[in-house]
Amino acid sequence: MGLLAAGIGAGIVAIGAGIGIGMIGKAATESIARQPEAAGDIRGAMILTAAFIEGVALLGAVICILLVFFGG
Amino acid sequence: MIQTLRRLFLTLLFLSISTPNLLAADAENKGDEPVIDVMGTVADHDYLKVPELINKGKIYLPRILYWENAEGESRVDFYWNTKSAIASGAFIDQDHVLTPADGGMIKMDFSITSHLVYFWASMGLALFITIMMAGRYKKGIGKDVEPKGALQNIFEVLFIFIRDDVARANIDDNKSDRYVPYLFTMFMGIAFMNLFGLLPWAATATADLTVTATLAIITFFITQFSGTKDYWGHIFWFPGVPTWVRAILTPVEVLGMFTKPFALAIRLFANMLSGKIMIISILGLIFIFAEFFGPIAGYGVSIVSVALTVVLYALKVFVALLQAYIFTLLSAVFIGMAAEDHHHDEENYRAEHAA
Repeated sequence: MGLLAAGIGAGIVAIGAGIGIGMIGKAATESIARQPEAAGDIRGAMILTAAFIEGVALLGAVICILLVFFGG
Repeated sequence: MIQTLRRLFLTLLFLSISTPNLLAADAENKGDEPVIDVMGTVADHDYLKVPELINKGKIYLPRILYWENAEGESRVDFYWNTKSAIASGAFIDQDHVLTPADGGMIKMDFSITSHLVYFWASMGLALFITIMMAGRYKKGIGKDVEPKGALQNIFEVLFIFIRDDVARANIDDNKSDRYVPYLFTMFMGIAFMNLFGLLPWAATATADLTVTATLAIITFFITQFSGTKDYWGHIFWFPGVPTWVRAILTPVEVLGMFTKPFALAIRLFANMLSGKIMIISILGLIFIFAEFFGPIAGYGVSIVSVALTVVLYALKVFVALLQAYIFTLLSAVFIGMAAEDHHHDEENYRAEHAA
């Protein structure tokens, strides 16, 4: 059961993080296209936001790893 | 110079080719242990992995134990390695965990482990490079004349990047330069730790939660100690909201103080751990296929696996530097948020009284 839960959990985590990072990428590329001179600032903000999303996603991934190794 | 490099390269090539054979022979002898130990490669050990030719591939590290024996007497013992601790009779090996033989307990384990060695090595390397470069700038190279050599040029690019794009961009101008030494230390240390993990036989110190948590705790304390009156005001008495809202906001803000460094630690840990596990799993597919479908399938899968691993390795070099940058950037953002002198308090005041 632990393995099943970990697999499903990792999948859901990937979906969530994928949607989030995809939206950041969309917004960032759109804003760079609209205002190319602000590309540096936008890229910084993009990396920062992506890092936050990734943090939450990896929190889920760590719980999945814990489930695999310690969840009966 | 080129001759020496070529010789070094040949030696490394020979070592990397000869090692798997030796390992395979070793695995056959034991039989009971799994061929691929995924968690073993990322876990902390009481030995350093070295090429198989030296000391059977392991250099054991000293154990320093603060423990309490059965009579309730606390003592600190030093042993050169785990084996000598067991040989002294005071400890026994219980499922690969050192336990006092007389039923006492280990209170604190100050043992030097592989991750600690690589932590020290990275920080030492960062210190060495920085001091060396500081000596050059003191002599005027880079200040009066152009920086010399590839190392100094790379160093200058990194240092300017951390100072301008990380520290000055996120922390108030009059305070930012105070935090540059800390941020640069973190960046160099974490980058070296991550990159050390890519070397064969080496361990990734940042794939250990205790290491990343220690780094995050340092950021946490620096953030709290550089907090201004506004910062504490925002936590305990949020300006411009009704009092009953503060009853909700204060616990959330206090919790936020701790979740920020927690996320910092988890992010670095999980990134480095997942990268390492991914590479081992993909390489492990070769052995799984060879086990189930015969050696031909193993050879076939190895082409795909090795190609994928090469790509992943290149990605990991990028991720190693990116994660060091993200850790440093977020540290700077958190410190900047705490150290910021708010200028919009007057607006809040006006808004509060206009309503």
